[in-house]
Amino acid sequence: MNSAQLEIQLIASLVAVACAIPGTFLVLRKMAMISDAISHSILPGIVVGFFITQDLNSPLLIVLAALTGVITVVLVEYIQKTGLVKEDTAIGLVFPVLFSIGVLMIAKRANDIHLDIDAVLVGELALAPFDRLIISGVDVGPKSLWIIGSILIITIILLIAFFKELKLSTFDKGLAASLGFSPVIIHYGLMTVSSVTTVGAFDAVGAILVVALMIAPSATAYLLTTDLKKMLLLSIIFGVFSAISGYWFAHWLDASIAGSITTMLGFLFLMVYLFAPSKGVIAVLYREKQQRTEVSLLTFLLHLKNHDEVQERHVNHLNEHINWQKVRSKTVLDLALKNNMIIIDNHIVSLTSKGDEFTTQAIDYIITNEDAQIEDMKDDFFLFRG
Amino acid sequence: MTIQEYFSLVFSDYTLRTITLGTTILGAVTGMLGSFAVLRKQSLLGDAISHAALPGIAIAFLITGAKDSNTLLLGALVSGLIGTFWIRGIITKTHLKSDTALGLILSLFFGFGMLLLTFIQKQPNANQAGLDKYLFGQAATLVESDVWMMVIVTGICLFVLLLFWKEFKILLFDKDYAKTLGFNTKTIDILITSFIVLAIVLGLQTVGVVLMSAMLLAPAAAARQWTNSLATMVFLAAIFGAFSGVFGTAISASQNNLSTGPVIVLVAAVFVFISFVFSPSRGLLFKQIRFIKNRRDLQLHKTLSFMYDIAITHDNISHPHEIKILNNFQGYTKGTLKKLVEKNYVTLDGSTWSLTNEGFESALNLYNQLTKNDE
Repeated sequence: MNSAQLEIQLIASLVAVACAIPGTFLVLRKMAMISDAISHSILPGIVVGFFITQDLNSPLLIVLAALTGVITVVLVEYIQKTGLVKEDTAIGLVFPVLFSIGVLMIAKRANDIHLDIDAVLVGELALAPFDRLIISGVDVGPKSLWIIGSILIITIILLIAFFKELKLSTFDKGLAASLGFSPVIIHYGLMTVSSVTTVGAFDAVGAILVVALMIAPSATAYLLTTDLKKMLLLSIIFGVFSAISGYWFAHWLDASIAGSITTMLGFLFLMVYLFAPSKGVIAVLYREKQQRTEVSLLTFLLHLKNHDEVQERHVNHLNEHINWQKVRSKTVLDLALKNNMIIIDNHIVSLTSKGDEFTTQAIDYIITNEDAQIEDMKDDFFLFRG
Repeated sequence: MTIQEYFSLVFSDYTLRTITLGTTILGAVTGMLGSFAVLRKQSLLGDAISHAALPGIAIAFLITGAKDSNTLLLGALVSGLIGTFWIRGIITKTHLKSDTALGLILSLFFGFGMLLLTFIQKQPNANQAGLDKYLFGQAATLVESDVWMMVIVTGICLFVLLLFWKEFKILLFDKDYAKTLGFNTKTIDILITSFIVLAIVLGLQTVGVVLMSAMLLAPAAAARQWTNSLATMVFLAAIFGAFSGVFGTAISASQNNLSTGPVIVLVAAVFVFISFVFSPSRGLLFKQIRFIKNRRDLQLHKTLSFMYDIAITHDNISHPHEIKILNNFQGYTKGTLKKLVEKNYVTLDGSTWSLTNEGFESALNLYNQLTKNDE
């Protein structure tokens, strides 16, 4: 591993951390798509800045682009406030227009500028180490490293300083406002940080990867925890992990580093989406199936309690009467037997005293409209779950 | 080439005719289906789908090795549909919200697509050039078979739309009611979403992945401002979309170095802007005018009721009073006084005013109405 490779991985990891922090709050505040909009609409800002300075790494570019980002947010909110269209339509209208303006500005001046739209979208991380920052003749490292490093430090300082305010206004806007923290300032503060991060990262990793790095690690972390601090930490870990593993994947495939990092993020998300312990799809499907069986069991027990007649309690009769498939009624019968709720004597099903007690309590809860209590009660009665 | 030249050439020149026809049909079909996306609050779905289509294009190319646009679009369609249903899965099965799901799928699929594209570029067979036209679209690459493809898809869309019009409409405005009536809402939902995906995929070659969502939204958002009827809105959106296509192509053809996609988007944005400002019932301009008019009426009423309060303290209601008294009253302006005279509520005599019988009556009623409203 040579120093250029090390530097690329360092830049990618720093970008991942710098994106994960605002990203977590964007995901929690249901504003993930705003980051997508910002990442597209900063293009005209970058182009104008580039026309003025002729230098892709000038600070003016960052200022102008961040300004365009904030303008996007303001425009979206203005259009939304007129009530003419919904918020998502407003986002969907604003950023393509700004992006189109940027594309056309580049196209009109294509001959005298070296600004490639593809580069804006996907960046060229592999070239980042070659653009060095030289202070009074001494090479102090790649420019991108310094830019994203300073943005990250500012982000971290802001995060620590305003953690309480951010947390409060994210989860309870009303309370935050009534305690005197202005939600507007925090909102625009967050938007500005997101814009600046997007701009700072774009020439290293491109606009789309910025969006991916903001949303994907946070969304993945959100599936695993509901604690804000843990979520921040997890998304940083996921981001850095994808950055480094993505780099080596790209190295092996000889393809775009940004695309490869995104693919890693996607793979991570897919794994967590499928296998997360309580919120993953498989866990959710399993739980749904379990609950379906348990509800059937309850229905079955209620039926037994209601009927003393022998013919209503015959095993075969249940199939026809409650209209279940054979397999289903067998599952339910087995579950009831395992839990000692019923006894089957010569194909006639009857409730045990435990089953009777359970059913009585369940009816009580149903009548008093406290269905949620049944879930807790199941823990007391069930030896085996459905 | 100037715009006049463009319009004289458009019927004779093969390339211009093909491109113009293509963008027009595309605008019409996206406008039509976009209406449903906008009304279903799925505006950003288009953005996500168009990005999600990219890996499909790359994979189709990797498998077939051919650049036939129909094959590539089939790949785009498949991957767009996968993206759409994954978004659905994320929203229904986890606690992640729709915006997160959209942003996730959008960026992850696009990133994966870029990975594949760069991977393809490094492949030894040099046949791969031109795949990146799907990023920003290149209307100039449209050929007659592409246009035929668009015509066929538009035809199918129109047919299905008319066939299931009632179902679409009821699902759009009252999903629960549709369910209780026994419609299979899931199937209708999937049908309509698939058509939106189809329209987006169709536009990728012309407008490109990044700007496709605007083609879907802008005509529909503009049309929404002019009407409250679904049929009219779909029709208007199709017209707006078609015109954006024509004008966008005309403008970009008449200038050097103007890509068609962005110009079409900007023309559509102009339609949106005009609709936002000038639509008679919802537009900002008329809203503002109505607002000002209401404020004037209110001031008039306030002045009148102030005069009434003064006049009622005198035996003769037409007893003249100095205009000066009105000066420290907020609702009073010279304009309102003139209006009151015009309405024959007040007579002026030099520097004094006096309430007429008519004015007294209406002020009395005004007061009654207010108290009535208060109750």
